Amino acid sequence: MTGVWFSWRIWAVFGILAVLPAFPFMTGYRLGLAFDALLFGVIAMSLDLLMGYTGLVSFGHAAFLGLGAYSTALLVERGVRSIWLCLLAAIVVVGLYALLVSYFATTRRGIYFALLTLIFAEVVYTFFRYTMAFGGSDGIQGLEPAQLVPGMPASAVDTPLKNYYLVLALLLLAYLVCRTLVESHFGKVLVAIRENEDRARFLGYNVRRYKMTVCVISALLTGIAGALYPIRLANATPDLLLWTVSGEVIVMVMIGGIGTLAGPVIGGAFFMVLQEEVSSYAPKIYQALGLSADKGVGVHLLIIGVILVLIVLFMPRGLLGAVRAARVRAPRLPAPVAAGGAK
Amino acid sequence: MNSNGQALLQVEQVSKHFGALAALSRVDLEVRDGEVFSLIGPNGAGKSTLFNVITGLYPPTAGQVRFLEDEITGLSPEAVNRKGIAKTFQITNIFPEISVYENVRVAVQSRSVEQGRPASLWRATDVRDEAMALLTTFHIAERADELAQNLSHGEQRYLEICLALGTRPRLLLLDEPTAGMTPGETRHATELIRRVASERALTVLLIEHDMSVVMGISDRVAVLHFGEKIAEGTPGQIRNDPKVIEAYLGGAD
Repeated sequence: MTGVWFSWRIWAVFGILAVLPAFPFMTGYRLGLAFDALLFGVIAMSLDLLMGYTGLVSFGHAAFLGLGAYSTALLVERGVRSIWLCLLAAIVVVGLYALLVSYFATTRRGIYFALLTLIFAEVVYTFFRYTMAFGGSDGIQGLEPAQLVPGMPASAVDTPLKNYYLVLALLLLAYLVCRTLVESHFGKVLVAIRENEDRARFLGYNVRRYKMTVCVISALLTGIAGALYPIRLANATPDLLLWTVSGEVIVMVMIGGIGTLAGPVIGGAFFMVLQEEVSSYAPKIYQALGLSADKGVGVHLLIIGVILVLIVLFMPRGLLGAVRAARVRAPRLPAPVAAGGAK
Repeated sequence: MNSNGQALLQVEQVSKHFGALAALSRVDLEVRDGEVFSLIGPNGAGKSTLFNVITGLYPPTAGQVRFLEDEITGLSPEAVNRKGIAKTFQITNIFPEISVYENVRVAVQSRSVEQGRPASLWRATDVRDEAMALLTTFHIAERADELAQNLSHGEQRYLEICLALGTRPRLLLLDEPTAGMTPGETRHATELIRRVASERALTVLLIEHDMSVVMGISDRVAVLHFGEKIAEGTPGQIRNDPKVIEAYLGGAD
């Protein structure tokens, strides 16, 4: 095992996240937003295993998210209330689907890999969107809350606060898994594949097997996050499976800092909060521009777009990369001799 | 050198056609354990194609390749490497945006106990000593933390060899290891390769254009011309073979 468990910075961040709900500005609404922010942090981080470490761009992560969400929704709808059984179902469903997709997608490289993941995901979207047994375009609505412990009263689970801690626990677990993975023997091979996959083969590595394995791991993490998704809004809708969601997750990885794990978590959280905050100011923005609300729809989206474009243009290594670069550039006092060598 | 005469690599009647082009025609080759065997010939003679057939990049159109009596014809590059054959590339082929050390580490760890086991997902064997020893041998240890793409051309050629040696091969295929080197660097590289080969009891199959390298390092030499083997023998025999002189001087027109 590597030093990941002893990195004080990570435990400090999780410590802050753990006490975050205690602050007065964390209303129930904001806790819900934080839930989404951390959930998409997990998803962006799992995509970073592919994009940042292996050099594979998946354009189909919405399918892993959506399949996880539908697994939970379909089970809860049929009276299976245990969140653990829902997670197990999501692991099986998403795992099998990911094996299928990666088996075919890893036969191709670059844009063709991305397109194959996209095509598979679009098939899944279409299936759920037009299958009336699964609610068609409405999806599955009005779910009863899932339960952490069998027999526990529903109210004991279904609070924004408990949901928040559930997804925070997932984030911590997913981070430790991803960090351990990228520091391992396996992770070093992934980076070699990203750098030069032909050369990796001539060093005796079965590149395709490595690619399939990392695809399935990434998909499972996203699928598990997806399985938790319905517990907040008590629904699962086909929108989750749409290709735009896959595109947004790619944007999260890019703006957060590709190939850093922590960066995409920041990117995911930033993206969700930005979207929510700018949208909440939308009426004021329309007012300032002299537009009526119905004619001004979309103007606030333009603002989000401009902010994202500026980040990509001026922070090519993402938010985390920019912070790290600023820290290196910042003038520092000469370190005392006694502290030399300690980082 | 310390050739004991046992056949390590046997290429039997290997042909490789690309459409109408016969890149290799019924080539026979036997590389014995412990020797340095060189493959020479004008551009387009099929030398690199033969390497690619041996190492599994292309299956041959006909014929067989055997290594230690095992048939390896048509195996994938990774499977051929696991049998004990490593290759360096004519055009430098490294992992550019990771450090020199990380380059060699990924090669060396391919032979660690974790390889291919579930434990490789959460563990990494400490291969630092072996990796650094390789870098030291090739005089690039002090560049270990540099990105591989920042090395000079000559240093990258050495890193290329380190990657191949990291997989602990019995047979090392070198495709023009001194390509692009100055005469001084070439001399140095030749001595180094010869020394490393004898220290590690390696068998070497070498493609080389530079005749001073070939004549200085080889136990035996084979000459390819338009995909056919036209001569084989000691460096002295090859130097005076009329067919070889014809191929190099007459055929070059």
